[in-house]
Amino acid sequence: MGKVKTLKEAASLVSDGDRLAIGGLLLQRIPAAFIRELARQGKRELKVMKTAANYDFDLLSFAGCVDEIAAGFVSFEAEFGLAPNFRKAVEDGRVRFEENSCYTVIASLRAAAFGIPFMPIASLGNSYLVNKFKEIENPYGEGKVLTVPAIYPDWAVLHVHKADEEGNAVIYGPVYEDLIMSRAARNIVLTTEKVVSKEDIKRELDLVVIPGFKVRAVVEVPGGASPGACYPYYDYSSEHLKRYLSIRDLEGLKRYLDDVNP
Amino acid sequence: MDRERKLLIANTMIVTMARLLKDAENVFMGVASNLPFFAIWLAKKLYNPDLIWLNIPGRVNPDPSFPPLSTVHYEIAREGSASLTLAEIFDMSARGELDVAFLSGVQIDKYGNFNLSFLPDEVKGRVKIQFTGGAGSALIYPNSKRVILWRTKHDKRTLVERCPVVTAGGNLYRVVTSLAVFKREGKEGLVLESIHPYSSYKEVAENTAFPVHPAPFTPPPTPEEIALLQEFDPEGIRVVEFD
Repeated sequence: MGKVKTLKEAASLVSDGDRLAIGGLLLQRIPAAFIRELARQGKRELKVMKTAANYDFDLLSFAGCVDEIAAGFVSFEAEFGLAPNFRKAVEDGRVRFEENSCYTVIASLRAAAFGIPFMPIASLGNSYLVNKFKEIENPYGEGKVLTVPAIYPDWAVLHVHKADEEGNAVIYGPVYEDLIMSRAARNIVLTTEKVVSKEDIKRELDLVVIPGFKVRAVVEVPGGASPGACYPYYDYSSEHLKRYLSIRDLEGLKRYLDDVNP
Repeated sequence: MDRERKLLIANTMIVTMARLLKDAENVFMGVASNLPFFAIWLAKKLYNPDLIWLNIPGRVNPDPSFPPLSTVHYEIAREGSASLTLAEIFDMSARGELDVAFLSGVQIDKYGNFNLSFLPDEVKGRVKIQFTGGAGSALIYPNSKRVILWRTKHDKRTLVERCPVVTAGGNLYRVVTSLAVFKREGKEGLVLESIHPYSSYKEVAENTAFPVHPAPFTPPPTPEEIALLQEFDPEGIRVVEFD
């Protein structure tokens, strides 16, 4: 069966309770349209992870789709302030926030990508985060070493610039943790600004950083990172973000999800 | 607070941080780091052109043509001398190769530890107020050579005796707030190094939850520093943290 799917079909591959690593960082190249579709489909008990998030995790918290968030940082920046729906969901006990250092998220994904049960990392000093992880004796020398467990995402959900119908994908500019996520995850779903021919992809072979073999779905969504940015095609939309942040209740969120296409 | 006052505070904090970078080898700025962005930009223009500027978009030595509101904006990735992903910058810190890093906390305590995680609810035993999370700070603070903490607020809820939750602690170099500069001295913890010229010892003492001693004034921004900042940022993006 072909991998090129509609947003609806692709999101329906995700089951309640799945663990998702979400690509991009803050408002840069996030799979925003896919996130909205997860919310429209009323997914439940998803576990999501990335280093630094805002719109995506805030919306999933608001819609009640997630019960666990692992991240180093969840907030908007500058004029948009904090992530209000994330905060409220955590303070109300609806979402468990597994605070990490961005580096421990990366190390957990690396361990999964490397096929090993845990990853030794440098000291986190006197951070309370140390209590979440286990120290072991250095088997090759003196002292102890901090470790973080491998975390295997069921899905890496990434938004890319170009992909062919097999899911071989091109990313321009910063890759953030997308490549580590793609190696660590069991399955990949791609939203892409454009589905292009195999010949097209071959012309930029050095930029094809995602091999298609673990990709289960390729969805063409021009503007799919919006209201986030997709360098160098478009910047984030302040107007859209202000509209999102003005939503006060679930009915408002439903109207927003019905209204924003995709 | 009127706009003139905000600009005065922003300019003072920026130039104070820029001058701290005169002998730095490399410097990292993370998410939501508006004032460090300007400080690094200014330091490279005026004091330390060889300073290596590292950032989350992962472009070494960016050359932004305008100041973006977000410090992960792709304008920071548009130009540069090489690429180094965020994961690799963290690795660099883990190896002890990161010289200076800018970090911030909602609460900063007398020992230089900060809290960017949450306020615990003592009664219910859970999270009372959730903050943003400390991003990369738990790794960067103890493993970088010198960390500059910055904070656009200075009051008793911000400069506290002891953080209820320690998100990160480590190799503190200076704390630069809207009113003053602190350094750390042995067991005593944070001591006042200078007071910004528009503030006073009285104001700093009244707004700090641990004891402070008198200190001289921070050297004010020079006309040259102000002119450069104004030219780069005529819109006043650098006051956004004060709005």
